[in-house]
Amino acid sequence: MKDYAEKIQAHARELLAAGKVDCVIGYETGSDGVNARPAFVYRAEDVGRLTFDDTCTHDLVTYLRNRKGKATAVVVKPCDARAVNLLLLEHQLQREQVVVIGLVCPGIKERAWGQKGEALLGKCQVCAMHNPPIYDFLVGQPIAEEPSPDQRYAPVAALAEKSPEERLAFWQAQQERCIRCYACRQTCPGCYCTECFADRLDPQWLGIRVDAPANGMWHTIRAFHLAGRCIGCDECQRVCIMGIPLSLLNRKLEQKVDDAFKFRPGQDAQTPPPLATFNPGENLGVDGGHGC
Amino acid sequence: MTDNGYQPKIVGFLCNWCSYAGADMAGTSRMVYPSHIRIIRVPCSGRVDPLFMAKAFEQGADGVLMAGCHPGDCHYNEGNYYAQRRYALMRELLAFMGIEPERFRLDWVSASEGKKFSQVVTEFTQAVAKLGPRQGVRR
Repeated sequence: MKDYAEKIQAHARELLAAGKVDCVIGYETGSDGVNARPAFVYRAEDVGRLTFDDTCTHDLVTYLRNRKGKATAVVVKPCDARAVNLLLLEHQLQREQVVVIGLVCPGIKERAWGQKGEALLGKCQVCAMHNPPIYDFLVGQPIAEEPSPDQRYAPVAALAEKSPEERLAFWQAQQERCIRCYACRQTCPGCYCTECFADRLDPQWLGIRVDAPANGMWHTIRAFHLAGRCIGCDECQRVCIMGIPLSLLNRKLEQKVDDAFKFRPGQDAQTPPPLATFNPGENLGVDGGHGC
Repeated sequence: MTDNGYQPKIVGFLCNWCSYAGADMAGTSRMVYPSHIRIIRVPCSGRVDPLFMAKAFEQGADGVLMAGCHPGDCHYNEGNYYAQRRYALMRELLAFMGIEPERFRLDWVSASEGKKFSQVVTEFTQAVAKLGPRQGVRR
């Protein structure tokens, strides 16, 4: 990963100097001198700011939605590259207006203020995709993939084994802590509706009162709106100031979508998403059946 | 409904073209079924946003029934197929969050199936009543 920054800078310099893009979204060293933060570089002479190391947690694809109609280059890890595919599939991006600088990623570390993190992020420990599925420029040598689906869904299975009462108690305890700051929504590359259901006043789906039932409704619908779409960057959970395990809900749906529809979001930008298509012969648990 | 007088609240989303007419058929045929169901008529089972199910539960429903046209009979050709996929995922998600899967039901009821409608509602109401009131609901 040592020469990544150099290569990213070279690509960025070339793109900006040639006028192919008017902004490069990448990472720079943040104000604590150690951890990375997102950087927006508009001039070729500023590319020296760009860097990459194992503190680059952010999913920068989120920022592309503010740059509609303007050619932009973005630095993506493999999980973030899946978000590019998602947005292309859903016609939120035009392929010719985005230049993808894809990185081969060995894993990102937990953040800690002012110091290097020790442990790998949870998502990186069970990552099954180290090479970006879409890129214009590849940085790094592709590495062998080691799929680990059992580990990936272990936390989901652990909770699913419990009784409904225990699961309800678990989620209620989480929902009581939620302050509905919507950071999970703001950081999500898949949450791009101009008017979120949570902000609607008529009908008012979600009251302004911040309590467990309303928060539960928010968590449920947020997760459902990402069913078959969540690319597993886990940014929602990382930015949650209350430490609510939001991505557990996303993993649950991801597993179900993979089982039932053999679909993994963000692998390419062509396969129709599972909730926008159907198979006339299927029975997913109608007539009161519960096995689906 | 039950020995201790518990009356479950059930929300039923019925499609305008088949199931609502099926409920009508049950009524005009004088069929008897438990009256705990609150029927909401929707243009198509595909109109049932999973948000409706979540909202019903948030507002204190004990069970949610969805009914639409049989596969192949949808007035809009394919609404019920989409509905089925969404329903399957939503039930999985809500079950994971602690709502028993027995509190959901999706069934196909045509306009002529008054008898089936009364059976579905009877079975479902009994199943929900057996589970008892939901915990953690604002009342």
